[in-house]
Amino acid sequence: MEKSLATLDEGTICSSWNYCGQRLATGSRDGTLAIFDPSNPGSSSSSSSFSRTSKNKVSETSIIKVVWIPPECGDAVACISSDGILSLWEETAEDGQPPQWKLCKRFESRSSNILDAQFAISGSNLKMAAAFSDGHVKIFELFDSLELMNWQLQAELQNVIDSVSKFGNASCVSASISWSQQRGEGQHLSFAVGFNSNVPALNSSKVWEFDPAHQRWLPVAELALAEDEGDHVYGVAWAPNIGRPYEIISVATHKGISIWHLGSAPDLDGRLSVEKAALLNGLEGEVWQMEWDISGMTLATAGGDGTIRLWQSNLNGVWHQQAAFEPTP
Amino acid sequence: MPGRVSDPGETSIVPVSPKPLEPVNVPIRHGLTPPISRVAISWSNGNSLRVSFFRQPSSTSNTEEVGGKVVEVKLSDGDGEIDDAKWRRIAYGSATPFALLQNRKNLSQLPMASSQHHRFEWWEHVMEFSRGINSLLGDPLASVDSIIEDPRMVVEKVEKPTNLKAAWELMEIFYADKRSQAWLPERLVDWLTVIDYDILLSGSCETVHSKLLDFQTDLDNIQVVEDSPKYWEVISSALAVGWLEIVVKLLHLHGSYQLDQLGNRETENGLVEAIAVLISKMPRLRPEMLAGKLGECCQTKPDFAKAWERWRAQLTKLDCSAYWVQCDHRQTREGLRHMLQIMLGNANSLNDATCHWIELYVSHLLYIRPFTAGLESMNSLAQKCIDMKPISSPHKLMGLLTGILSESTEVVLGECSRAFGPWMVCHAIELLSAGSNQAEVLLHEEPYNLGGISIEVLQRLAYAQVLSSHELTWQIAPIYLASCMKQGMGLLEILLYKQPVQHKQLLLKNIEICRLYELDSISSNIMKVAGVHHWKHGRKGPGVFWLQQACDEVRLNRISQHLFDFVGKSISDESFKQWDRLIELLGSETRIAGGLEFLHKYRDFKRSLQHVIDAKTPDAARQAVESLILLMKNPSTPQRFWLPLLHDSLKLLNWEERPLLNVSQTTLLLNKLQELSMARLRPDFVESDLPPQALSAVRLALAMNLGRAILEE
Amino acid sequence: MTVTEPVKIYKLPQSKYIDNVRWLPPLSAFDCLYALAVFDSDTNTPSLEIHSITKPNPQKPELHSTWLSPSRISSLRVSNSLIAAATYGGSLHFLVPDSAEGLVESGRENELHTGGIASVDLMEGECVSVGEDGRVNVVRVRDGLELTGVFDSHGLAAYSAVKWASPTEFVTGGYGFGLQWWDQRKPGGPVFKFKANWVHGANSGIVHSVDIHPSRKHTCLAGGSAGTIFAWDLRWPQQHIFLSGVGMNESTTHSPCESEVWEIQYDVYMQSSNIKASSAWILPVMSCSEDGILAVVEQGEEPIELLAEPCAINGFDIDKQNPSDVICSLEWESVAILTRP
Repeated sequence: MEKSLATLDEGTICSSWNYCGQRLATGSRDGTLAIFDPSNPGSSSSSSSFSRTSKNKVSETSIIKVVWIPPECGDAVACISSDGILSLWEETAEDGQPPQWKLCKRFESRSSNILDAQFAISGSNLKMAAAFSDGHVKIFELFDSLELMNWQLQAELQNVIDSVSKFGNASCVSASISWSQQRGEGQHLSFAVGFNSNVPALNSSKVWEFDPAHQRWLPVAELALAEDEGDHVYGVAWAPNIGRPYEIISVATHKGISIWHLGSAPDLDGRLSVEKAALLNGLEGEVWQMEWDISGMTLATAGGDGTIRLWQSNLNGVWHQQAAFEPTP
Repeated sequence: MPGRVSDPGETSIVPVSPKPLEPVNVPIRHGLTPPISRVAISWSNGNSLRVSFFRQPSSTSNTEEVGGKVVEVKLSDGDGEIDDAKWRRIAYGSATPFALLQNRKNLSQLPMASSQHHRFEWWEHVMEFSRGINSLLGDPLASVDSIIEDPRMVVEKVEKPTNLKAAWELMEIFYADKRSQAWLPERLVDWLTVIDYDILLSGSCETVHSKLLDFQTDLDNIQVVEDSPKYWEVISSALAVGWLEIVVKLLHLHGSYQLDQLGNRETENGLVEAIAVLISKMPRLRPEMLAGKLGECCQTKPDFAKAWERWRAQLTKLDCSAYWVQCDHRQTREGLRHMLQIMLGNANSLNDATCHWIELYVSHLLYIRPFTAGLESMNSLAQKCIDMKPISSPHKLMGLLTGILSESTEVVLGECSRAFGPWMVCHAIELLSAGSNQAEVLLHEEPYNLGGISIEVLQRLAYAQVLSSHELTWQIAPIYLASCMKQGMGLLEILLYKQPVQHKQLLLKNIEICRLYELDSISSNIMKVAGVHHWKHGRKGPGVFWLQQACDEVRLNRISQHLFDFVGKSISDESFKQWDRLIELLGSETRIAGGLEFLHKYRDFKRSLQHVIDAKTPDAARQAVESLILLMKNPSTPQRFWLPLLHDSLKLLNWEERPLLNVSQTTLLLNKLQELSMARLRPDFVESDLPPQALSAVRLALAMNLGRAILEE
Repeated sequence: MTVTEPVKIYKLPQSKYIDNVRWLPPLSAFDCLYALAVFDSDTNTPSLEIHSITKPNPQKPELHSTWLSPSRISSLRVSNSLIAAATYGGSLHFLVPDSAEGLVESGRENELHTGGIASVDLMEGECVSVGEDGRVNVVRVRDGLELTGVFDSHGLAAYSAVKWASPTEFVTGGYGFGLQWWDQRKPGGPVFKFKANWVHGANSGIVHSVDIHPSRKHTCLAGGSAGTIFAWDLRWPQQHIFLSGVGMNESTTHSPCESEVWEIQYDVYMQSSNIKASSAWILPVMSCSEDGILAVVEQGEEPIELLAEPCAINGFDIDKQNPSDVICSLEWESVAILTRP
């Protein structure tokens, strides 16, 4: 039932598919970014085989994460390396020359490392939310929709509900950001972020929403029960919504994966109602990755035991494991 | 009970492939030498999952090694009964009947349609749909009896029918075809005989069909059939399941029919013939007999009851006949009388003659309880037969049949999903909801727990996801998604967004889907993505075309600015021709082009300026001034170009012979300059890359010009 | 125009996606050949197949020969017994059907265009190719291949269709419903340009197919987006004659479809209703479209629908030997052969 699509170079440690599953970007320990394209040009075949079409050294240290930017802004990836630098690389071609990958922009901070970054399109603007090792989240906005060089810092926030408290000496190991995949008009831009740090208050996942009237980001929900608030968060994933009256966000901690329902109507304080709908059991070890399918009804997870699992809810709203795929040589 | 549909993992009908219904462990082969350090996952189109495996680099070996593998797992792989190409043909073929049925459904829900009238006709529409689907699943099959004239060819080896077709026909009989409601038992008998589904069961255990096939092979070696016990056994079995034509054909193989023996086996032959005649006169409660089928058709119950009594009386009479004593051939005598017992409904004889419970069931319906009506009594009889002939491994068709008979929508859905997959469930729901109100309620309920999504919609979405996981079938998915307005359109938007834009033909096909379903915003988004892709890959013509189609003013204005910068920098450059052509390509229509109108004017202005430098005539200079004023007055001229424009025009402003600008023109330009200095205070102001003294030079030139103009006026 | 007898339609399912379809001249008197550019999605292999059928009953075609293509075939043309197959990979192949050895590749150009060849046309051993990269190339097929680069717009223009008018002249079509007339004796760019003046910005479209009638070289026929079919007479290069389309004045014309017109060809089988037609009169045109219509359109007449399918008709070809026969490729992995009375 499985079909081999591509063979990766030695030292590859992360990969990412673009919006339509036609290009694969991989990052390796020696800081090399490789791009794979269908071996058979012209074939739109989603299941054709892929071969490497370009290779660039993008970092002195290991790449830990590759993220494609939305296709409205071209073919470009953000590479986050283990030294905490994010570099944006874009494929362009000039006047009949073959396309080439070029560095557009480097994001680095002297005091802290970038741990995760995710992109979203709002109107015709590209936004990037980046989580830093000092527990801060920065929102950047692209200036020129045709060039990926000029970015502007739009906001900087700390992942706490109570905006008064500030934590100066936070140290985070990892972070995870997930934008809501809102498509409709009039919906506010929002994302969820969680940390794995030494400051319990920063850790739990919070949902941030942009308030266009005051041009600011507000925390609108916290995705943790009182007793779990300080848990290290390994990952958050916002499910696509094709017509549910509420949003679904999954959060992975060492206790397992919890499925959260997020209401749409804010209360008087501007907070959205949250409900923990399920805690997925049966996982062993850390959760590496959570991916929702396009309908937002099946969650695929990969974790420390190397097994890939599919989770679904039945008609009674009970979540359960549908399948487990075990890698074999 | 609605709500409690099923136990998770047992007959769960949530949307995923039939395969991983229980939390099953499926191995994925990656072909790498362990250890694997990490895996990464990504959903591809529809419900295929892509998995990257990264190998731990070995520190010992120096040789270049494979660092990882990427594999794709399709979650909707078929069970192998039907290959991929055949599945796609079924998918293509079922889209049209499905769309037609949905159309009719929507029409019948319009207020002006008389509901009574439409209710009457509705099942006929469903039947038309069902027949359309059925024809895709395989050709009509030859029935068990041979059509070949070889008298010794009792049963043909036909091409194996598919379980899918058999299952569809079962659903059709019980849910869609309202005409069959009065004679369900007969329809079930037909299903097993005419349609020949007994073959399908043969795989797992012995059946009457497999017995017949065995006997067919033996037949060549048997000289005198009536001496063989197997002959009589096979005849009884065929009779028990109602394959009357085969029975009569087999009887005619009896030795007493041979001309040389007719004389001394007269009585024997008479008895054989009598049985054959009785068989062919068996009364059947059904609207019509199928062509070539034996039996006497009775359309009403009273007629049937009378005929049945008469027939039974004849059987009894023959059973008590004195001729049996005169029949010398023991096997014939016993065989024929056993057949009589079967026809008289002797439960033990039926039990002995049949193999599978469904065969026993059919024999009971034929000979013991021909008046059975209603699913409840059919179900209790079926349960009795299952108890009498239990089977170790349940066949998927039988699971479906028991579900239907027990009138459990949940079980039927579960069986359809587990055994036949999303295509079956999605289409069978149409039959189910036409068949029973209880099912319809269950299918259309929208539980909050699942986000207000009904089972019917859920199954359509699941099937649409299967369709979209293949590049050739993905275009059918919108038909199914459009049939569930709320969630379907949401999924369709995501699906369309995830299609590649590089290939013109595919791109246009996707845009056409957007047009059909009025998804304008997705359409312009797709065009935007295509435009940016082309623009950034050195195909500026198609890039601009798609951005124009998308009405993407923001990016078109940016392109104009790029062009402006270029035009501003190198007017005499050879490559200006290239850009000149691009400006041409962009067209002069300003509706969409935005800043491009300005660009046209700017190009004209630059040309006349060049002309001024070359020719140095006052006329050319005056013309250039006109162009400049037009440009500065035009609201589409971006503010950031004001200063460069004026700076370019210094030669005009400082024209030696006489001031070229009059007072009002100069004032206009000075006002613009003033506006510009105000704008500089705003944070979003973009400084032009002119020399720092440019502003003062322009201001000075304008002031001098104003002075000279006042003097002149 | 009235069709008395019904058109006979034969459907031939393929289990492969049909990228292109063309009739071939027969190798012998009895058979009838057609070439299919197919893509097998199960094995991910593109190929060119030659099938033969016997005329009265085309339902049982036989696979005559197969040639494996390096990538999917984007354009396919046949002239005499030479086949030109252009690919999405940018390569151009010349093939000769041989009764003994099947399909023999007689020559190839590997990298004519970047990003695929959009369209080719073949005439008397010369092949012209165009692409979205804005290049126009002519390849002379004699003892070897001789490449003449005609033009490179460096991506500023993109071409999607091409057709020879004479051994030295050809016409191209592209974005914005543009048409260009080229003459190899006058290099450096198109000799005439036509730009659609009826479209504005977002309502524009692309020309997908062009055709020129051998007896009327001054008139170019073009089919493209939004059901548009129009003619361009070189003698009046600023004008156009609308035959069909959404964008035109609705009261005067009849549009058989509203979606993309993928291919057009002059229909030599249909007699023009206007017998004493002047040279400005446009002859009947066959077209196929994304919304599944195969129809014949004539100036000022109701279109005649030959085939209406639930899926797109991506291409067709009229048999030059026997113009009553039409073969077309359907989106749902099948081919339809039409025999007109």
